[in-house]
Amino acid sequence: MRKKKFDSFPYLLLIPAVLMMLAVNVTPIVQGFYMSLLKLNQYTLGQYLDAPFIGLENYRRVLFENHSPIRAGLGFALRNTLLYTLIVSILAIAIGLAVAVLLNRDFPGRNFARTLLLLPWIVPSYVVGSLWGFMWQRDVGIINVVLVDWLHLFNERPFWLLGSNSFWAIVIPTVWRAWPVMMLIFLAALQAIPEDQYEAATLDGVGKWKQFFHITLPMLKPVIVIQFMFQIIDNVYSYNIVSMMFGNGAGHPGEWADLLMPLLTRQSFSYWLFGQGAAVSFIMMLLMLIFVGVWMKSFKRSMTSDE
Amino acid sequence: MNNGLTWTVVVLPLLPILWMVLSSLRSYRDITSGDQLDTSLPFQWQNYRDMWVNVDFFNYFKNSLIVCSATTVLATLSATCAAYALARFRFRGSDSVSVGITVTQVIPGMLFFLPLYMLYRNIGESWGVQMLDTYHGLIFLYVALFTPASIWIMRGFFISIPRELEDAAVIDGCSRFGAFVRIVLPISAPGIIATATFIFLLAWDELFFAWVLTSSSEVQTIPVGIRLFIGQFQNRYDLMMAAATVSTLPVLIAFFACHRFFIKGLAAGAVKG
Repeated sequence: MRKKKFDSFPYLLLIPAVLMMLAVNVTPIVQGFYMSLLKLNQYTLGQYLDAPFIGLENYRRVLFENHSPIRAGLGFALRNTLLYTLIVSILAIAIGLAVAVLLNRDFPGRNFARTLLLLPWIVPSYVVGSLWGFMWQRDVGIINVVLVDWLHLFNERPFWLLGSNSFWAIVIPTVWRAWPVMMLIFLAALQAIPEDQYEAATLDGVGKWKQFFHITLPMLKPVIVIQFMFQIIDNVYSYNIVSMMFGNGAGHPGEWADLLMPLLTRQSFSYWLFGQGAAVSFIMMLLMLIFVGVWMKSFKRSMTSDE
Repeated sequence: MNNGLTWTVVVLPLLPILWMVLSSLRSYRDITSGDQLDTSLPFQWQNYRDMWVNVDFFNYFKNSLIVCSATTVLATLSATCAAYALARFRFRGSDSVSVGITVTQVIPGMLFFLPLYMLYRNIGESWGVQMLDTYHGLIFLYVALFTPASIWIMRGFFISIPRELEDAAVIDGCSRFGAFVRIVLPISAPGIIATATFIFLLAWDELFFAWVLTSSSEVQTIPVGIRLFIGQFQNRYDLMMAAATVSTLPVLIAFFACHRFFIKGLAAGAVKG
């Protein structure tokens, strides 16, 4: 008898998706690594992959050579990206969780409230960038009207898009757009917690806060661990809001609002340093893989416990 | 009292959106003089006409519609097929495909925009197939970018469908492809609608590659075009807010048309991880 026949059906179904992943994910990574070893600049760009091979020179320039143009502001962008990623991720999850707990009960109009709360996330991020860029304006922006004219919190109108204020000017809109989805996910997870756990705790005289820390949080841990990781990944690659808010992609967000992706795009295309740009991409990729690897390893147990 | 707090929390985040709509109905002069909040001012409905004239916004709007609709159809199709294969069959290589999908979420195509740009440029130069600055170049990239995450969402739906239905159809003489198309797809319609909405929202929001891979207004989408209201030559926040409101409408409509399926699907997929 012949062996079991080879089943081609699942492979046929996968062909389009796999081909596209090969074209848009695998090929650029392989080619990007090769590009990072080449002297690819405005003069050699036409030679493409035949540009002179220079080994790890691009990495040395990016990491150690202070006057390399692509490094201008790299330190600031790195610092901002780290702080921005951490603060946005923590705030989005904390606010999302708090509101989910608040909404997780029966009240008139519950579904309507849930739908309304998702609206900030429906607004496209380029609209978020333009809208908040307008709101932060010193003279015509609504934020200074509220803070200065109504609440008299400042004697003089602050510049929100200059100096260290600009860091908060990018954090707040990002959080504003990110937390509703977190809320939705936590709401679904909360509804999966068996009601009798809370009933038993209430009978034993355990207070609401204690119930939150001893029942709700441990039950949500797997979801929080995964969502935190996805938040970190999303925010590290953040681009849209910053680029719309500052000079519409062409301008410079300055020392406190520049992030890695806007910097990498701007520097690569203004100096045509594609070899060094590819090296920066590769370093970022390695750092991300290390982070995700460590995160998955540390939380392996709590991530799989719900299955 | 608790309900009062709840509704405050619900309404507060909506204020920036209200502000956007209100500003879009203010005249240029009212905005520059800082009188936008004066309720005695008449609404400037004219902004919604001028925004199409000041910048050729219709062109960008049309391009967004074309690129995003094509992306939605094609990505939903490829994701549905792939998800069905991964949900129903055990075969050699299925694990590596799953790992590959996860990796694309950690290292998105966006990080390697330089090689992608060079690849597109080179395909045009050596094979004569223009990829930069074309609809199909943009659409192909979007379909590829949004397929992996959509596979996860669809896979969750397929797993929740009982297998017996297809088995019965196959025993009745239906081919497996026939069972997939005639039995499975109709039951999964809510999932497919949720996935398609998800893809449309992502595509409508895409700004990075819309900027990197295009250079002429013939194919550029809204996020590139909307920048023209502010900049070197003018500062028309009034028109920009009108354009921003109009740009939000398609995703808002898509969301409200499908939000029942969508909220359920998003929450279920995300919780399962």
